Amino acid sequence: MATSRIGVRKLVGRTGIYVALIVSSIVMLVPFYWMVSTSLKVEADVFAYPPEWIPQPATLLHYAEVWTSLPFARFLFNSLFVAAMVTASNVFFSTIAGYAFAKLRFPGRDKLFFVLLLTLMVPFQVNLIPLYKMMDLFRWVDTYWALIVPSATSVFGLYLMRQYILSIPDELLDSARMDGCSEFGIFWRIVAPLALPGVATLAIFSFMGSWTSFLWPMIVTNSMNMRTLPVGIALLQEYHTTNWTQIMAGSTIAALPMIIVFLFMQRQFIEGLTAGAVKQ
Amino acid sequence: MKRMPIFLSVVLVIVLAACGAPSTPAPTTPAGVTPPPAGVTTITVWDYYGTATPFQPEMIAAFEQENPNIKVKYESLDWDAMFEKLSVSMTTGTPPDVATVDMTWVPTWASLGAFADLGPLSGGQVNGVPLNEAFSEGAVEAMTFEGQTVVMLEDFDVYCLYYRADVFEEKGLEVPTTWQQLVEVGQQLVEDTDGNGVPDRYLYGIFPDAFRWAQFLYENDATMLNEDNTQAVFNSPEGVEATQFIVDIVNEYHIAFDIGEEEAITPIKDGRMAMFSDGPYMMGVIKDGAPEMEGMWKVAPHPYSKQPSSYLGGTGLAIPVRAANKEAAWKFVEFAMRVDNAIGVYTGSGAAPGLKAALESPEVSAADPYFGGQVTMPLFLQATETAHHFPYVRQWNEMYDIIDDMMGSALLEQKTVQQALDDAVTEINALLEE
Amino acid sequence: MTLTWTDIGRSHEHCRGKRMETSIARRIGVFVRKYYWAYLFILGPVISTTVFLFIPMVSSFAFSLTEWSGLQPPQFVGLANYKKLLFDDPKFVKSFVNTTIFVILGQGSGPIFGLISALALNQKVRFRAGFRTAYFLPVMTSLVVVATVWKMLYNENGLINGLLRTVDLPTTRWLNNPATALVSVIVTSVWQGFGFETVIFLAALQAIPQELYEAAMIDGANAWNRFWHVTLPSLRPVIVMIYIIGIIGTYQVFDQIYVMTDGGPVNASRTIVFHLWDNFHYMKFGYASAVAYVLFAVLALFSYLQMKFLGRED
Repeated sequence: MATSRIGVRKLVGRTGIYVALIVSSIVMLVPFYWMVSTSLKVEADVFAYPPEWIPQPATLLHYAEVWTSLPFARFLFNSLFVAAMVTASNVFFSTIAGYAFAKLRFPGRDKLFFVLLLTLMVPFQVNLIPLYKMMDLFRWVDTYWALIVPSATSVFGLYLMRQYILSIPDELLDSARMDGCSEFGIFWRIVAPLALPGVATLAIFSFMGSWTSFLWPMIVTNSMNMRTLPVGIALLQEYHTTNWTQIMAGSTIAALPMIIVFLFMQRQFIEGLTAGAVKQ
Repeated sequence: MKRMPIFLSVVLVIVLAACGAPSTPAPTTPAGVTPPPAGVTTITVWDYYGTATPFQPEMIAAFEQENPNIKVKYESLDWDAMFEKLSVSMTTGTPPDVATVDMTWVPTWASLGAFADLGPLSGGQVNGVPLNEAFSEGAVEAMTFEGQTVVMLEDFDVYCLYYRADVFEEKGLEVPTTWQQLVEVGQQLVEDTDGNGVPDRYLYGIFPDAFRWAQFLYENDATMLNEDNTQAVFNSPEGVEATQFIVDIVNEYHIAFDIGEEEAITPIKDGRMAMFSDGPYMMGVIKDGAPEMEGMWKVAPHPYSKQPSSYLGGTGLAIPVRAANKEAAWKFVEFAMRVDNAIGVYTGSGAAPGLKAALESPEVSAADPYFGGQVTMPLFLQATETAHHFPYVRQWNEMYDIIDDMMGSALLEQKTVQQALDDAVTEINALLEE
Repeated sequence: MTLTWTDIGRSHEHCRGKRMETSIARRIGVFVRKYYWAYLFILGPVISTTVFLFIPMVSSFAFSLTEWSGLQPPQFVGLANYKKLLFDDPKFVKSFVNTTIFVILGQGSGPIFGLISALALNQKVRFRAGFRTAYFLPVMTSLVVVATVWKMLYNENGLINGLLRTVDLPTTRWLNNPATALVSVIVTSVWQGFGFETVIFLAALQAIPQELYEAAMIDGANAWNRFWHVTLPSLRPVIVMIYIIGIIGTYQVFDQIYVMTDGGPVNASRTIVFHLWDNFHYMKFGYASAVAYVLFAVLALFSYLQMKFLGRED
């Protein structure tokens, strides 16, 4: 009968989606799994042939090694501190400026936006030396200032928030304005709450961008205790040898805060906002 | 809005954490440390040797004790970072006082005047021994650029043949000493395990880089550049012959394969590679990565056609010309060149010390159980006597890449050897004219 | 509780009491006040971008007009670097071609995978957070790890060749073969990066108001129609952004190449920024800067044309 046919089709469709999701997730997880399993291996097994997928023997030694041979706790703190500051700053400035570029009309708005976009088109490497010289001038080399301030805002973040805020209906904002709400009030009470999925997304990317940033922190820090995680992990690549197991252990430790931030942001801001709302 | 409090509290927590952060952010001096008492000089030392470095905390403490008016700010970097950071800091005028440099970086930087002349700084001697007695002739030559001593050789890199002694014995083969023998031995050594007609086991592994190409070039009595480094001459008949040999052992005789970007340890362990040419540090790498192969590998001089030879490189200790405290820096370098400290490169990571006295010491010249009881270091030292460093020209870094491409296109048979060499020579000549 | 537009609308009811007479002076005051707020809001990013991006950009552009080794004073050479770059540098041409291929293949596939996975994840499936994390994990994993693992997979005796052999398909040394090196890196790159687009699309999908779908269903639209007439148009601003940012970003691809193939074999996977970086290594900072600004000119032109012909994206 018609209804049961639709029912079967729906079941097949549902199963199909699950199968696709599971298979593709496994494919995505392979390198992550390899990273963790290598971190548990004995050094000699890293390039064993045929490749060893389950470490035998398995050891937690490398995590202890990484934690003690380098000031890993310090690296972790530095990365966390810098990433948190950069994320908070980015979220704030990008959202409020994104709103202005999306919904407020002011002279030179579109031209200015395009000019800002231009900065995305220049590879960072080419600004390395002038920017370093600037840090030297400000006496910021090897300090948190150099790690945080140049990344305190991002044009990408601005673009992202602008696009999300564009989809907020103008009528909502106009009516608030006519009711006498201040500009900042409109931003704070109406735009910001509606932009939260975008804010969460931006928070994830800001955090990730800062967390995985390598070139700039590498150039601008000299002392061991100012280094961030990626710079610290690179140290495990010794002059003549590469401590694969330690690098993997370090990378696993480095990946964990990212995952926590991601889950938190996703669950709190995207999940939570639309719980029960999807009725397709 | 229900979510706002959470959002706000997250921001608050972050801000509070920031306020409670350690006070390190306050910049006092560019070095980020509180200024030392008057009369004390602080030198910064950058080192890419890793945790196995001879500059251990005890060694640094001993130096500071002997020199109470010098403090050492020691920073460990990795090899890539060192190049970038040295470039940037030398450019902006704030380099460290002492830095480890790869000898392949010396040509370009020395020719741009980046290094201080250690001649006057040292008075021509290190720890009381004249420079040309403390180091071998090849080493002194490598340390000198246009009459200036630009680095002290911390470790040297020179290539010998590593081979699977156990497989050789099993098949009743002798170690090859000439190119001809290499081909003969190779043909009896290799096996084709997957039956596709191309041998895939027990091959000679060739790294398609300038280091190995230079070895074959020199062995065939050819050179890269002419006497005064103004022209490339490696497309001579001898040069073509040498390059053709490399291409042939891979594509014609099938006794060798192109390792490419792989880690050498992989074909070592899976048996694809039974011979290859590499430096002393590789001994440490094999021991760490393939302990199960103890006793299977041995070292021998590399087979040659006309004369034994190899590239010569290594690590140097340099004092940038714009360093702030050169005299104090020299004191540290000299301290590092004491025999006890110089041996550290071997005991730490199995590298070959540049200082002759360290090289000839009992620890370094001991029998190695991993290599079947062989005394391997003298083999490498012997190789330095016939080895040549790369041409010391400003354009070396770019030349290196051109040679790399040339090797690649010849091995991939995109061009004939003659064509590849001629094109490279033309390109390099244009470069040298700039 | 679902958030609807009317709920939001009600939240500012308290503002009503502040409504005043609308005189002409008042109107001008409101007008001026509107601009003042706008400029204030954008102040942070504008200042920061000017100091930390524009000023270095001007500086490095100035260097592109010189020959500078970093260790010796720069020498002004005018447009000589650009002339050499555009007319006398086969490696640059190769880099440009390679990078364009990278962009076409990468941006042709990445966002599509991102959209499909976001649509799938937007369904009411269980363990959604788990799947989402799985897709995003590669984006969060360090590049060194990703490159190392994929190098292993692409190895002569690696997993990929292993699988191909079991079904009797031809194998090759993926990263060592000039014909396949670039594509191999692209595959790794897309694999690692599309989770990025997934997350962006997911957030955008969740912001699409339910009412629009309900209205469409009332009009008798099926799933495909709903997608085409409701979902896609609502996603338009985000899609455009992803493409613009994606193309601009992918034209600057560097890290993956550096770690996986070093631009080889024989420049088969060399990209523009790789060419730039190499020139840094040759201590040719002026020339390297010129590479950057040629790329900049191309990207600026492309963005300008796109904005002009596609119009505003809202």
